[in-house]
Amino acid sequence: MGSRLLSRLRNVLAAVVLASAGVAAQGGVTLTREGGVAFINPGSPVVSESEAASRPVPRLPDGTIDLTGPWVGGGAIQDIEANGGLKPGELPLLPWARELRDKRRSQDDPYTVCLPMSVLRTNPYPWTFAMSYTSRGLSHVYKLNELGDAGNHRVIYMDGRTHPPKDEWVPNWLGHSIGRFEGDTLVVDTVGFNDKWWFDRRGTPHTGQLHVSERYTRVNYGTLRLNATVEDPGALSRPVNLTFTARLLRPDARTGAGDIMEFICHENNQYGSAGQFQPGTGRGN
Amino acid sequence: MRLGILGVALGLIGMAAPVVAHHGFDTEYDAKKRVKLAGTVTEVAWTNPHMRVYIDVAGPDGKVTNWNMELTSPNSIRRQGWGPNDLKKGDKVVFEGFGGLVVESRGSLMYIAKAETPDKPLFTQGGPDGQQAPLPTP
Repeated sequence: MGSRLLSRLRNVLAAVVLASAGVAAQGGVTLTREGGVAFINPGSPVVSESEAASRPVPRLPDGTIDLTGPWVGGGAIQDIEANGGLKPGELPLLPWARELRDKRRSQDDPYTVCLPMSVLRTNPYPWTFAMSYTSRGLSHVYKLNELGDAGNHRVIYMDGRTHPPKDEWVPNWLGHSIGRFEGDTLVVDTVGFNDKWWFDRRGTPHTGQLHVSERYTRVNYGTLRLNATVEDPGALSRPVNLTFTARLLRPDARTGAGDIMEFICHENNQYGSAGQFQPGTGRGN
Repeated sequence: MRLGILGVALGLIGMAAPVVAHHGFDTEYDAKKRVKLAGTVTEVAWTNPHMRVYIDVAGPDGKVTNWNMELTSPNSIRRQGWGPNDLKKGDKVVFEGFGGLVVESRGSLMYIAKAETPDKPLFTQGGPDGQQAPLPTP
């Protein structure tokens, strides 16, 4: 039994212990405190904390901070209230929304039938920002989730356009996002959502009035911080600020596991078959 | 030996999987239906959203049931080091898991090992108490 493998197992054990204790409390971000391989959530290995803190933050040739990733974490999983850094009961849900959240069952989550997670939600799998340049500079940023947006891509327009008039926009799963850089922080403003997706597995709802402002800051080589402001007069009594943290996926050129991998969610989704129920109805059955 | 270590490591990662995977445990599986069986692998399905291992198991009356055992996502498993050569069709195995709430033979895989090395798991998974499951000492 080689020492390297023993070390790896020890690290994994530590990661699992931490994951078991901290998923809900830390926005889904959990890490082994030992050296070597660190895992997040768990499921995806990320760069060690020492590497995250010591290496310089990379920049693109034009000087723009490189936010590419791939990243792991940085959103809600089980409960956006706890994962976003709030105490129990602090998410200012209106009574109808609180009642609906409490009534919903996890098997009705649209995500379980491979529909998108949408904004401020993540899972144990990596995601990346892909930046698209044209002759006029950075025109689009795409947010690509390996798993969770049903193969869809979120478009963030970086060309200075504004949101379309409300009466010309058909509400959709990912909304309409416009972005800009404020220094090294990517600021994304999104409106135009439908109300079909859930913020988390707990079933936290929203309405078509949802307005999300995201601020992504790469605080060091291996860490991306998301500060978000959520407004939804239809579901929340006041705007609320949430904070999430993502970690950089560990490189792995041999297997491709250090990059976004293929994920065809509809390939063989048998969820519900063992329990003989219809998942993902979004209606609480 | 390498496989055993990776298998244990992979399995322990899986212990927390019910919290963060594509869906939870108790919506589909019954914690009271713990099974411990032996059989022959008929298929290792590296499919999304979750991997599945199909295993023929002969009952006391000789009737063969094909068990459909669910794991976690193939990408997650790949990232932990398990590869396509670690378990194959035709392998004799012992395994443990939990039966489906309604269809018992659609189960959640908790432990699987080659029949000749039953104490060296290729894969272990936490089941309903995964978050609180006691961890073995490495």
